[in-house]
Parts: sequence; structure tokens; C-alpha cells
Amino acid sequence: MDIIAMILAGARVDDLGVLTFFRPKSAMPYGGLYRIIDFPMSNLMYSGIEKVGILSQYKPLYLMEHMRNGEPWDMSGRRRFVTILPPFKGMGTSDWYNGTADAVYQNLDFLSNHMPDLIVVLSGDHIYKMDYREIIRFHLEKKADLTIAFAKVPKEGAHRFGLADIEEGDTRGGRILQYTEKSDKALFDWASLTIYVFTPYALFEALRANAEENSHEFGRDIIPFLLTNNYKLFGYKHQGYWGYTRTLQEYWQTSMDLLGDPPKVDIASWHICTNLSNFNIRDRQPALIGPDAKIEDSLFYSGCHIKGKVIRSILFPGVKIDSQAVVEDSIIFSNTVIKQNATVIKTIIDEDVTVGVNAHIGENTSGELTVVGMGTRIARETSISSGVTVYPNLGPAKFTKNIYCTGEIIK
Amino acid sequence: MKDTAVLLLAGGVGSRLNILVSHRAKPAVPFGGIYRIIDFTLSNIANSRLTNVAVLTQYKPLSLMDHIGNGSSWDLSGRSRSTKILPPKTGEKEWDWYKGTADAVRQNLDFFNSDNYKNVLVLSGDHIYHMDYRSMLKFHRERGAKVTISMIEVPWEETYQFGTAIINEQCRITEWEEKSPQAKSNLASMGIYVFDKDYLVELLETTKEIDFGHHIIPNALKEGNVFAYPFDGYWRDAGTVQAYWDANMDILDAATGLSPEAWKVMSNLSTKGIPYDRPPVKITKTGRAINSVISPGCIISGNVENCVLSPGVVVQKDASVKNSVVMHDTIIEEGSSIERCIIDKKVLIGGESHIGIGDAAIANHVFPDHLDTGLTLIGKYAVIPGSVKIGTNCIIYSMVNKRDFCKLDIADGENLQKMDAG
Repeated sequence: MDIIAMILAGARVDDLGVLTFFRPKSAMPYGGLYRIIDFPMSNLMYSGIEKVGILSQYKPLYLMEHMRNGEPWDMSGRRRFVTILPPFKGMGTSDWYNGTADAVYQNLDFLSNHMPDLIVVLSGDHIYKMDYREIIRFHLEKKADLTIAFAKVPKEGAHRFGLADIEEGDTRGGRILQYTEKSDKALFDWASLTIYVFTPYALFEALRANAEENSHEFGRDIIPFLLTNNYKLFGYKHQGYWGYTRTLQEYWQTSMDLLGDPPKVDIASWHICTNLSNFNIRDRQPALIGPDAKIEDSLFYSGCHIKGKVIRSILFPGVKIDSQAVVEDSIIFSNTVIKQNATVIKTIIDEDVTVGVNAHIGENTSGELTVVGMGTRIARETSISSGVTVYPNLGPAKFTKNIYCTGEIIK
Repeated sequence: MKDTAVLLLAGGVGSRLNILVSHRAKPAVPFGGIYRIIDFTLSNIANSRLTNVAVLTQYKPLSLMDHIGNGSSWDLSGRSRSTKILPPKTGEKEWDWYKGTADAVRQNLDFFNSDNYKNVLVLSGDHIYHMDYRSMLKFHRERGAKVTISMIEVPWEETYQFGTAIINEQCRITEWEEKSPQAKSNLASMGIYVFDKDYLVELLETTKEIDFGHHIIPNALKEGNVFAYPFDGYWRDAGTVQAYWDANMDILDAATGLSPEAWKVMSNLSTKGIPYDRPPVKITKTGRAINSVISPGCIISGNVENCVLSPGVVVQKDASVKNSVVMHDTIIEEGSSIERCIIDKKVLIGGESHIGIGDAAIANHVFPDHLDTGLTLIGKYAVIPGSVKIGTNCIIYSMVNKRDFCKLDIADGENLQKMDAG
């Protein structure tokens, strides 16, 4: 069976704010080491799907470096490849990708050149472990035109997702009876994981029909088109963990799911592959723990030097926590330094940030997340309440006040 | 530095490291969590922008060859760079094991005897240090030397293990002693030599001498063009169990100067690799770690103090590991305590075991000169059943399992072998 996977990795999502100023969402760091796209890539690897096209138009360099021809996932070779498919100028038809379906449509020749038996379309921004061979077997057994994976979610808040009413009878899944995309009220509790298995002709027909329309999204346009035109659409019920990272709060929660005892996601057992050459992770010295350190319920990687206190937090390679500094309920990206006596509570801090001596970030109990953008140097003694957004690349001189209150944006 | 060929002598047995070298050569012994000893020399080569390297192996070369691969982990492979592994080979006349350092180099004359090279840098893969060989090569050329030897001051009581030299103000070596019991100088050879290529070829072709320290250097000295390149940075031989343990612990103390990351030490992480990347270190709610080096994939639910842990070590709840070096994927089960041990890869320590506590004055019964400082060695793949007591200066051999434990109390200085090992 010849299968090609297309990963929708291009988007920048406004809800992640400063964290996606310089990277596409699929390249967001996750879990102390990985990038979010490592999850679908590792799933593909373990499912034996070794031909992958990556649709990327926002900051593609970032992804290109990370994918390195697919080598980290053992996908470079004679019959294996990972190809980045950026938008291109064509004979009048091609242009910036105008939605997920348009991105695939503009690369129809890539797909038809390979003439695969099946096309798997994945989103590059979910955290889950899945053997795609099972949904594929289900798809073939049902002789479906499109099979979509769904996870059960609480109805509350479910309206943000594509939701389906799935025919009962088979525990694995069934025919999709109805589908709604981001409606005001959640009618069903099976949410789409944006994992699509297409029989090629159905995908090609739907994309060609959709090309004339104004909107080009899989969820909003392609699925309704196929449903109304009586194609065979099936829903496959995913049973394990499914984490989404669409908003800061979701990203933070999905990260915190790696902690606790037992954790919701036992990341060690997932055997995820990433690109260790990216950012020289490979040559980092193993983590050094100082004589007075206190670390509890946390993850950290090589290159970290921890002298202070780290509780329920995730540290990426090269993070330095100086003595008497305290980090709680936080996620700290590569090479950030937390100086002496500083405190960081419930905050996501991007790469290469310095938090000055005696600075206090995220304190106060409103419970809102604080976010600090890449490369910023927070002046010593600065106090930043929870729920503040700090822009990237600010020098210490930008911190003109001693105290910043909830809701402020420091630019 | 395309005009310098590098010969890396990696045949060292390092027999005083005992069971740590029972299935690997000394240069391949794991060190500092994720490294092997030879990584320090290979990284020095790469960071000195040298590009053509031959690694001479002999003793248990498999894990070393695996580790070095084609040199790409150190960026020593490509169109204009190469890493060749040169094991002993059958010559035209006889089966030629390398008889000594000079003999090994002689047997591989072909590698460097070409017009491309002006100098030959001869290194050993046995030491932990950081050096830019370019400075030494510059020194060699500026002095117009035929041979330059890198030398370091060592404690007087250790001089008997080294070649030692007396030098004049220009750093010219005037007198040389090889492993003298009463050395006149404590300036010791680090086993790092720069030769003029033509001179080296001549030396090797006109004599049959087999060792640099014993024969070649004393001979060259007579001609008067041998220089000492003084070095005063961190340099350790790590050739004994205690010295190996000390050097590992040096990483914990910035004052020692041993800093693999600052030195840009590179390693091959995928050796015999598990097919996925090691996850981040995890310290759980019950875990505690202080003053330690902890590698990716470790899961700490117990207590870790003053340790160097390689990737994948698991310390379960209520277990305690102190002052120890623990290698890849070893599991220490609930309630066990480990003190001053060196534990090789993939060892399983059953629950409620107590290992390494005892009277350091009782040296090992079989290897009193290897183990007399209060350290216990546990070999690769050993399975220690639960509720066992093992003292200090003990050796638990590789592959032992439950059936080999006739008793659950191994006293200080005792060893435990696999029964059918004889």
C-alpha cells in the first residue's frame, strides 16, 4: 500500500501571541525537548508511512531546519522522503496558500505524480500517539472515501472544534451522520482531530470543486461538500490522549499533562523522535544540578544548570536557574536564564530570555498565564503580575516601571 | 590544518580499570554521563580544525568502532576530511599485532607518508583534557623542532607511570627518563607528539624500535631537536578505578576546570542507539537530586546525591544513590541504597539492597591494587536480586544473576562471578 501523508504545518496562530511571532505553530517547542510536529512525524514513522509532504508558508526556514530531509524520523532514502512544500508562483494559479484545502490543492501535482493508494492529511499541531495503520485498516474495511479521527470531548467548550454525530454499532467508529464546524453551540461530543484518510479520487474531486469557492478549509468546506454529495464518510474513534495547543491556556495545560504521578502523558513511553542537531541539542552536556537545588515534579534536558528551585515545570535545553531563584508551574524554552532570587510563577518564557536578579514574574493569584517573548531581557527588580504579555527582544531599558499589572502588554 | 595527519592510538587496554574494560577498550569507557573517554581527544581534533584522522585500534575494538563510525559525529567526514579506523592487519610477511606505539605507527606509514603532510600528530585516546593542537603545532614549527612532546607537571609520587623530561629555557628536552622509579623531573609526557613527517618516517624506517617513550624519543634526543610543549590545563589519565571516579566527580566542581560543554566536546549519541531520542530527565514528586550530572531519559523518584548518571537511569521511590557513577539504563529499585559505586550499563539492582557501604581499608581480595579506596564495581547486565548486602572494594562481574548469589551478603573486598564463568 502506497501512502502519502500531507502535514498542514503552515499556520501562525494569533492565539499563541508572542510565541508564534518567529515560528509556525507546528514548530512550537513542547515537552522539554520536542517540537509539536515531532508528534505526527513520530506517529507516521511508527506507522510505516515514510513519504511526507509538509505544507508550510509561515517562517518555513524554521521548519526546514528542523525537518532536515526527514533524517531524524528515518525518512530519507530511496523510497522515503520528507518534502517541504512552500507556496510558489505558478502559471497564474498558484499563490499564497488560502486555507488548508487550498494548500493541498496547489500541490495536487505533487500528489498525482506519486499516485498513492491513500492520502493522509494531518494537522501539525496536536499532541497524541496514534498508529495510523488502524484508522487506515478501518478506512479500507469500510470502503470509505474519507475517514476522520475523532476524540470524545466534554460538550462544554466543544463548539471550538469540528464536531460529528457518528453512527453507533462498531466500537471503532461508524458512518458520519452529521458534521458541524465551529458552530455557536456544541451539538455533539466527538471532536475532529484533523486526521483525514482520503481515497485519492474523493480528495481530488472535492478539491477541484472547492477551487471555485471563496473559502478553502477542510473542516468548513471539504467535509460538508463530501457529505452533501453522498461520498462515504466515516468517523474513527481515537481512544488515547489528545492534547491541543491552539491557545496559550491549552498549550500550557497540554504541557502540564506531562507532569504529575502518574502523568496523563507518559512522554518517555511514547518514544518520540526529534532533530537533535537543531539548536545543537546534541552537543549539550548532561544537566548539572547544584548542591542546593530543589527539583520536584519537573522535566528538564541537557544543558540545563539548576541551582535554585524548580517545581512542576518544564525546562528546555540550556536553561539556567541561578541560586535562590524559584520557578513554579512554568514552561521555559531553550537558553533562558533566571537570575538569582528571581521568581517565575505560571509563566511561559520563550528562548534566550534573561530574567534579572530579584525580578518577579507571574505572581499574584489571578491564575492567568504570563508570557514572555523571545530574547527579552527583563530588568532586575521588575515585578510583573500574572496575565501580562511581554514582547520579544526588549532590552532592560524598556522596563520603565517597577510594577506591571494584570492585562498589561509590555512592548 | 590540512598539512597535518593525525594518528590516534586507541588500542589502550587500561587493565587497571578492571571490569570496566572487560568488554571494551579504555578509550570506549563511558564518561561524564553521555561521553566516552575518546570523545575528548576526537573533539580536540575537530575543534583544532584538523581533518584527516586515523584511529589505530587493537584491543576489543568493536564498541569503539561502532562509536566512531565514519567520524561524522565530530564532523570528521566529508570530501576533504576523513576518519579511518586502522586495526592491525596481516602484513606481507606475518600476522602483525601492534607491538607498541611506534610499531603501530610504523605499520600504518602508508596513511601519512605522502607529500600532503608536513607534520604528524600522534595522540592517545586515553585522556580527559582540552587542548588546541594548533598552538602546539605552531610551537613546533617556530622552534624548528623535529619532535615536540606535550608535557605537564604531575605529582611527584606519580612520575613512575610516565615518561619524564628535564628541559632547558627554550623548552628543549635535555634529558628523558621512561617510567623511572626515581624520576629527576615531574614534567610528564601526555602521550601527545608532533613529528616532522619526514623525520618520523626516517626514524621508523631505520630502526625496529616498537615504543615511542622507551626507544624512539631517547634516540631522537641524541640529535637534540626534541622540544617539550608545556601544558597546564586540566588533564587526567583516568586509568585507575579511583582516578576514573575522581574525574567524573570533577564535572560537579567548576573549580576543577573540567567542563565538557565549554570545551565543545561532541559525542556520537546514536551508538547502538535505541531508535528514538531520549526524553527529558524526569524528577517526580518523590524525587530529589542534588549536586549531580543527570543525562536525558533518567527518571528520578528516589534520592540522588553527588552522582554522574548516564542516559536512562531509573532511581525508584525510596531508593538512594550517593557518590556514584551509574551508566546507561541501569535500574535501581525501591528501597535500595547505593554508596560509592561504579555501575556499568543495564544493571538491575533489586529492591531493598544495600551496596557499597563498608570498611575501605579491606582491599579487594583478588585485585588489591585496583580496588583499595572504597569503591565497588558492578558489571554490565548484572542482575542483583533484592535484599542483598554488598560491601565496598567489591567486584560484581558482568552478567551475574540471581542464581549466582549463593549468599545475600558479599563482604568487603569480595567478588562475585558468574558461576559457569569458572
